[in-house]
Amino acid sequence: MLIFNVGALANQLGVHRNTVTNWIKSGKLAAETTAAKKYAIEKDIFRRFCIGEHIPDEIVEKILTGAFEKPTAPKPRNLHNIPQREPIMRKKNLGSVMVVGGGIAGIQSTLDLADSGYYVYLIEKSPGIGGAMAQLDKTFPTNDCAM
Amino acid sequence: MEKCIACGLCAEKCPKKVDDEFNMGISKRKAVYIKYGQAVPLKYAIDPEQCIYLTRGKCRACEKFCPTGAINFEDKEEIVTIDVGSVILAPGFKPFDPSVYDVYGYGKIEDVVTSLDYERLLSASGPNMGHLIRPSDHQEPKKIAWLQCVGSRNNNRCDNTYCSSVCCMYAIKQALVTAEHLSGDDISQTIFFMDLRSHGKDFEGYYENAKTKGVNFVRARPHTIDPGPEGVGVSIRFTTETGETFEELFDMAVLSIGLEASGDSMALADTFGIELDMHHFAKTGSFEPVNSSRTGVFVTGAFQAPKAIPRSVAQASAAASSAATLLADARGSMTRNKEWPEPRDIRGETPAIGVFVCSCGINISNVVDVEAVAKYAATLPNVVHVENNLFTCSADTQELIAEKIKEHGLNRIVIAACTPRTHEPLFQETLKDAKLNGFMVEMANIRNQNAWVHQREPEKATQKAKDQVRMAVAKITYSSPLNQETLNVTPKALVVGGGIAGMTSALAIADQGFETLIMEKNNTLGGNALALKMSFRGEIVKPMLDGLIEKVSTHPKISVATEATLKYVSGSVGNFKSEISINGTLKQIQYGVAVMAIGGREGVPTEYHYGEDRRVMTHLEFDAQVMESIVAESEKAAAPDKGKMENPQSVVFIQCVGSREPERPYCSRICCVHSVKTAIQIKEKSPETQVFILNRDIRTYGVWEDYYQKARELGVIFIRYEVERKPVVNLEENHIAVKVTDPILQLPLDIEADYLVLASGVIPNQSRDLVEVFKCSASAEGFLNEAHPKLRPVDMSVDGLFVAGMCNYPKPIDEAIEQAKAAASRACVVLSKETMKLDAVKSFVTDKCDGCALCVDVCPYNAISLETVDSSLDLESASYAETEKCKDSVVATTLNGESHNLNGSFHRRIVTDSALCKGCGICFATCPKEGIMVHGFTMNELKAQVTAAIA
Repeated sequence: MLIFNVGALANQLGVHRNTVTNWIKSGKLAAETTAAKKYAIEKDIFRRFCIGEHIPDEIVEKILTGAFEKPTAPKPRNLHNIPQREPIMRKKNLGSVMVVGGGIAGIQSTLDLADSGYYVYLIEKSPGIGGAMAQLDKTFPTNDCAM
Repeated sequence: MEKCIACGLCAEKCPKKVDDEFNMGISKRKAVYIKYGQAVPLKYAIDPEQCIYLTRGKCRACEKFCPTGAINFEDKEEIVTIDVGSVILAPGFKPFDPSVYDVYGYGKIEDVVTSLDYERLLSASGPNMGHLIRPSDHQEPKKIAWLQCVGSRNNNRCDNTYCSSVCCMYAIKQALVTAEHLSGDDISQTIFFMDLRSHGKDFEGYYENAKTKGVNFVRARPHTIDPGPEGVGVSIRFTTETGETFEELFDMAVLSIGLEASGDSMALADTFGIELDMHHFAKTGSFEPVNSSRTGVFVTGAFQAPKAIPRSVAQASAAASSAATLLADARGSMTRNKEWPEPRDIRGETPAIGVFVCSCGINISNVVDVEAVAKYAATLPNVVHVENNLFTCSADTQELIAEKIKEHGLNRIVIAACTPRTHEPLFQETLKDAKLNGFMVEMANIRNQNAWVHQREPEKATQKAKDQVRMAVAKITYSSPLNQETLNVTPKALVVGGGIAGMTSALAIADQGFETLIMEKNNTLGGNALALKMSFRGEIVKPMLDGLIEKVSTHPKISVATEATLKYVSGSVGNFKSEISINGTLKQIQYGVAVMAIGGREGVPTEYHYGEDRRVMTHLEFDAQVMESIVAESEKAAAPDKGKMENPQSVVFIQCVGSREPERPYCSRICCVHSVKTAIQIKEKSPETQVFILNRDIRTYGVWEDYYQKARELGVIFIRYEVERKPVVNLEENHIAVKVTDPILQLPLDIEADYLVLASGVIPNQSRDLVEVFKCSASAEGFLNEAHPKLRPVDMSVDGLFVAGMCNYPKPIDEAIEQAKAAASRACVVLSKETMKLDAVKSFVTDKCDGCALCVDVCPYNAISLETVDSSLDLESASYAETEKCKDSVVATTLNGESHNLNGSFHRRIVTDSALCKGCGICFATCPKEGIMVHGFTMNELKAQVTAAIA
């Protein structure tokens, strides 16, 4: 049984995703819907279909064995998946600090440390720093501009 | 990323529109975008989940149009390994999503928005450029309701039983700011709340001010919101305290959503292996408020608990201090210093002025016709380039200014925007980067001094803006480059006050390697903590306090002076000199910075028969006398042979005694939690004792809300009273009779109490002497003021002075420790520099000085003294003549260097100490003969400015 999603299969076959959708809708490609917008088809039926469509054998084999490379689009990475390296505990302290989060708190920590002689890596997940405070219009109790 | 010039062409050409999360999805952005106009770094980014090419493999339009070839689709995420000595986690919070409640209709009824949506609607850089319109029909709303505690103080469909601490205040702020946005007098703002928690510095005044400005406060929790007639507006149903149900139409409803921990931050905690508390915030202790459960990993901000900006900022500095203490021996081992390019020599150049007129979003441009101002500026003499920008302070405009300086050979810049107080340093840096002397910029404040105050007269405001620009241009024409002197820093700190805050500060500074002196006016260290049994979290104070005193007393870099008072202060940041009296003996000391931690104390009540009967007590007295025996007795009860002594049958607490009243118009922040915590202890040890807490609002902010809930579960009875109808107390033989009207039953109640505990407010220790010697500032109530209530919560208005603990505002131990560490962090920023640059705006003596000494007495900083010089070696006047020469050809040299070389004899003249001089200009104004002037405000510059003003 081959489980596929339309976009990926279209990519692998070199056709537009709508083409694949049309094949399925017209019954030409006898795939059944499964969970999470994926389709399932018997491998033999798929092979026969591919011969009819003059798709080269090596591509069909690659699809069936799942040997196709994953699409290149970077996926959002779950923090848990980052390989944990055993921390190297040195005898000597390092003069650098990592600050995670570029909101007002992270920025203040960073400035204090950098101003007093430490190298700081400020890590922010979005493309800009500022965090929630940047979204505020004014601040209480002085009605100062948050920017 | 280096190639991107933020021209925005990619975003213009990108065919994919997506909801802009920065504007809470109210407006659209493209798949290639910047977060917001002033974003740092100002570089466009591609959203990989939305980009058509990255999701479907076709498009690349941005790549085609990018003029600098900055777009690289081959760029891959890479994993970088960095080695660091310590980590600070500040991932922030997630705004609560109210769509889980169908009763509020968020996401279904168009005119129901969250407070963060509303914040964007109000913002000048928001989706409607600051024009407040409701989502349904794009009309200005006139009648707006705020619903408090949405996703806070609630465990129905969310687990957020804590109070988010900030929503009451931001709702008041939004209600007040709304009035500025809307025209007409028929505006009505209603805030539906449970307890109004204005528990920070100046918050209570803000709340009272909102009441006088007509904001309606209704104590009710609306249970249903329906769409208004024809789908616009909303209909809100609510029941008031008196039990009546109302249904009212509003144009719009704002849900004051709480702060909660995000999934991302939980994952982050997991990655770092640190513990979270029951609300998924980082677990910390009261005595180590920024330490996570893992050594070397510190936490700060809303990740630790929901909190407002000032405490986040203070905590961030505290975390920095803790990290720096840990790595003290490696300081400076990995840093580089920023170096500026050598400034271009502009002597001999004719003035070439560039004028940049800022729209400040719509802050300026909705009143002042900025384009007309720009056009006018172009006609002024010596102006060679004029530009109007949406935000002149944005990062891209800085690059633009630098570019224009090069392109047109500009040597002077005028910024017509906001106040130099906040923005001048930014523009000075821009000039320095563009190889100009940083002082060749002049700001015309057409926002604070114009657009904000002349909202109703746009034409006159535009005329005034033109005048302001003309004056600035005239002044800068006569300006010349200034130099900043450098000064050695005395690497020592003085800490005034030996309580928990003072000692913590001293320890943090000393641990970073700087000598510290603690001055305590009493004969022992410890302060208020000596009288405290336990922290709000229940940690026992004494062992911590003893440990702290021990550490401070034995630390090689800390010296302690008890029974010490400050007599005299001179000098300024980096180099203070003082005379202190220790036990009667005078001692001279020198230090670079000082931390003020003089604390506060429990006020002495003047009502409810306090002092007439020993059964009427304050918190601290009750803790010391009764709580100890209750705790001890119940332990005795465990041993059956000793027999149980009788516990009190009934205890009444009265809140806000001497707080939130005209003579002390502030909330003391700690009394509610203290009463609730004490009530729980009584109930736990002696469940049959009846406990009543008479209050005006219960302000158990943040995670302390859990105690409020627990107290009610244990049967503590909370009765609210109005300040106009305070409880009446009568002393009887066997009990204390307390009479109070219950607002829900609407009946008077008589309570027979064994003890009456008065939650007396905190008053600051006498600070007038300190304020006088340091020339720092204090609030009307006597609390020492911070330099900026949000962004500089521990710095004082005088450079080199920092504030921590209760002398700044009442606060519990954990917050005092945070602030103390923050003050230490800020202090070490100064101490870690061997030399520091002085401000360039200082007085200087000209050769017209004849030593009349009129200026000596008027100088408030003692910066001027008299000296006798041999006039033939008149160095000062020579240097001034040189300064004059630097000036441009248009500046007529009016002075020459030979005015008083009479008979070659000695003569008297003044000298100024540039370290002490603040550039206030009183000497300049006093001098009858231009013998002393102030850099950046010389007679020529001022004359030109004044002439331009009346032109």
